[in-house]
Amino acid sequence: MPPYVIPEKCDACQGEEEPLCVQVCPGDLMLVDPGTGKAVCREPGDCWDCMICVKSCPRQAIETVIQYQLAPVPAKLIPTLRPDSVTWTLVDCHGHIERYVVKTLAGEEEEEEL
Amino acid sequence: MARPRVYIDTDILIIGGGTAGCLAAWEARQVGGPRLKITILERGFIRHSGCLAAGMNALNMYLNQGTPEDYVAYVRYDMGGAPVREDILLSVAREVNETVALMEAQGLPIKKRPDGRYLNRGKWNVEVNGSLLKPITAGMAYQANAEIYNRVYVTELLQQNGRCVGAVGFGVRDGKYYIARAKAVLITAGGAAGLWRPRNAGDAHHRIWYYPFNCGTSYALAKRIGAEMTGFDMRLVTLRTKDTYSPTGTLAIGVGAPMINALGEAFMRERDEYLKFGGHTAPTIYRLWAAVREIEGHRGPVYMDTTKGDPQRLAGLKAQYLDMAPIIVLYWGAHDLDPAREPVEIDADSPVLVGANAGVTGIWTTGTTRMSTVPGLFASGEALGQAPCRFISGSWTCGRIAARHMVDYVGQNPGPAELDEVELARLEERTFAPLARWEEARAGGRIFTAGKPMEGILPREMEDRMQLVMEEYAGGRARLFYVNEAHLNIARKHINRLRREQVNYLMARDMHELQLAWDVIHRLECCQLVIEHILYRKETRYPGYVSRTDYPAANAEYDCFINSVWNPETDEVTFVRRPYEQIVPGDRTKESI
Repeated sequence: MPPYVIPEKCDACQGEEEPLCVQVCPGDLMLVDPGTGKAVCREPGDCWDCMICVKSCPRQAIETVIQYQLAPVPAKLIPTLRPDSVTWTLVDCHGHIERYVVKTLAGEEEEEEL
Repeated sequence: MARPRVYIDTDILIIGGGTAGCLAAWEARQVGGPRLKITILERGFIRHSGCLAAGMNALNMYLNQGTPEDYVAYVRYDMGGAPVREDILLSVAREVNETVALMEAQGLPIKKRPDGRYLNRGKWNVEVNGSLLKPITAGMAYQANAEIYNRVYVTELLQQNGRCVGAVGFGVRDGKYYIARAKAVLITAGGAAGLWRPRNAGDAHHRIWYYPFNCGTSYALAKRIGAEMTGFDMRLVTLRTKDTYSPTGTLAIGVGAPMINALGEAFMRERDEYLKFGGHTAPTIYRLWAAVREIEGHRGPVYMDTTKGDPQRLAGLKAQYLDMAPIIVLYWGAHDLDPAREPVEIDADSPVLVGANAGVTGIWTTGTTRMSTVPGLFASGEALGQAPCRFISGSWTCGRIAARHMVDYVGQNPGPAELDEVELARLEERTFAPLARWEEARAGGRIFTAGKPMEGILPREMEDRMQLVMEEYAGGRARLFYVNEAHLNIARKHINRLRREQVNYLMARDMHELQLAWDVIHRLECCQLVIEHILYRKETRYPGYVSRTDYPAANAEYDCFINSVWNPETDEVTFVRRPYEQIVPGDRTKESI
């Protein structure tokens, strides 16, 4: 699910030496477009869908969009990071919403399905 | 043209800060003491790079029961009785549980049963919430106080009098020439994806199971320094969920879903030709082989029948996938698919070369030292050959074991001499050549209006050509993984043309493309070994993974390890057979528990 950057939200991590998405991408795919000053994925087809950029973005400016050859609009899957868990919101093709909370660090909190 | 250089002088050099590399750094610090210099060169950013980048929901090597010997018996059974390095596997199996406990103490959430024991998935797996598996793993390298260089791509190893003494490469972001001199070098740079054409095209061409940025660098580097290479006569072909190519262990073992064909037959137990392999729990190699035979026999599509699985486990299925392959959850949602109501379609993904997952490809090592046939050069993780099914937890463990032997080696051998400046200059030119060619084309105006060089090849173009040749002539999915000598000879001709001639036209327009250029160069180095090894093994030892139509049965003459050494003068490989040594007694085609 290649990353697409929402221009209104991205501030290229002002103050950081390197925007976080640029820093973390395993495939060296994110860069700051010199024209717009915003982050962009240089080659969506080269993305492995690890979603690290999405999880790392401090402004939630990155949306992962599944390749159309694999799945149609308007389905969406949005991760929201918490200190020791991720909340995943799935919007399916009927607009139904499912949420899953998955633990990321050892602790007492139980996994739940909302 | 004076390109800025970065000189590194270290005791231990680790190429690849992944599963095995990070734990090697940690263990080297434990046994080597505070003064030992440990350096990691990592092509990505160590906290999020490699096979663990997206997370993982299980550790597939753990002894929930039984002994290390039982694990060895399981592995060789799962490989259909093919030879494996039992000595190496035993050494890992003896320590793997301790390593898992170590990682749990670092914060890895391992799921528990009500009685407090780990939640197992089958005999040899434990379930984890592994979405932060890589940051936790990388934390071990930070704790070891290793010097970590992110975004450095290694292009060649250095040698002195036959000993490996370091590596050179380029900084992907800073464009600098990196030169690392070391007393011992560990290769843990992963396996190789993308030699064959991926199942999806265009903007989904990296929607594959295996990590696409592992390009065979481990194998290419070791081959070129003259190390004995092994297991290129086997590729791993995996059954994965159709289109998203997500792992299926979650369905098969986790939910207990049987494979069915288009006729609704649970073919592993309903069709006579497969029954003898053991039904639904038949070895991985036969399950793949059978599923592909069903497709070949026009009884596809093949599914995993989740509707007949354990309903309780099925309820947690999406959450389990979110820890590892979130795309499939979206795929189901987007296509109105519900695995509780309908079976999940599966298919074979393109072949990959791996040594720590369920494959045997890699560097040949001496005893349990993890040292290759080149002194000073060690291998672990996917880079280590003939010890399959170590997976993540076994790779952590294997990295630790490698580090101990490296610390010994460093203690027993004097440091290398000064590096040869002439050689360094030659390697610098080689490393940056694709950039230089582009600059030359640009200076001469030899570029079409569309941006394509007139006498140049861009990395993606060369990758496409390589993948086409491998797919059609070296047994890709398009050929249902069948090969024969006639096909392989065509593959040999075209791949060697790419390697020997076309690569001299390879161009890179920026640093990112230089990385892509080296990805394809390293993949091509692997392609040569694959073609030569499969040609040499005139039998079918690994049905489904490599099915030779001209030698369709196994031949006892090849019940051994086939190793090759590359000759830089002739660009040919010579073969040596290494005997299989059975340590754990018993029938190799049977599990012991």
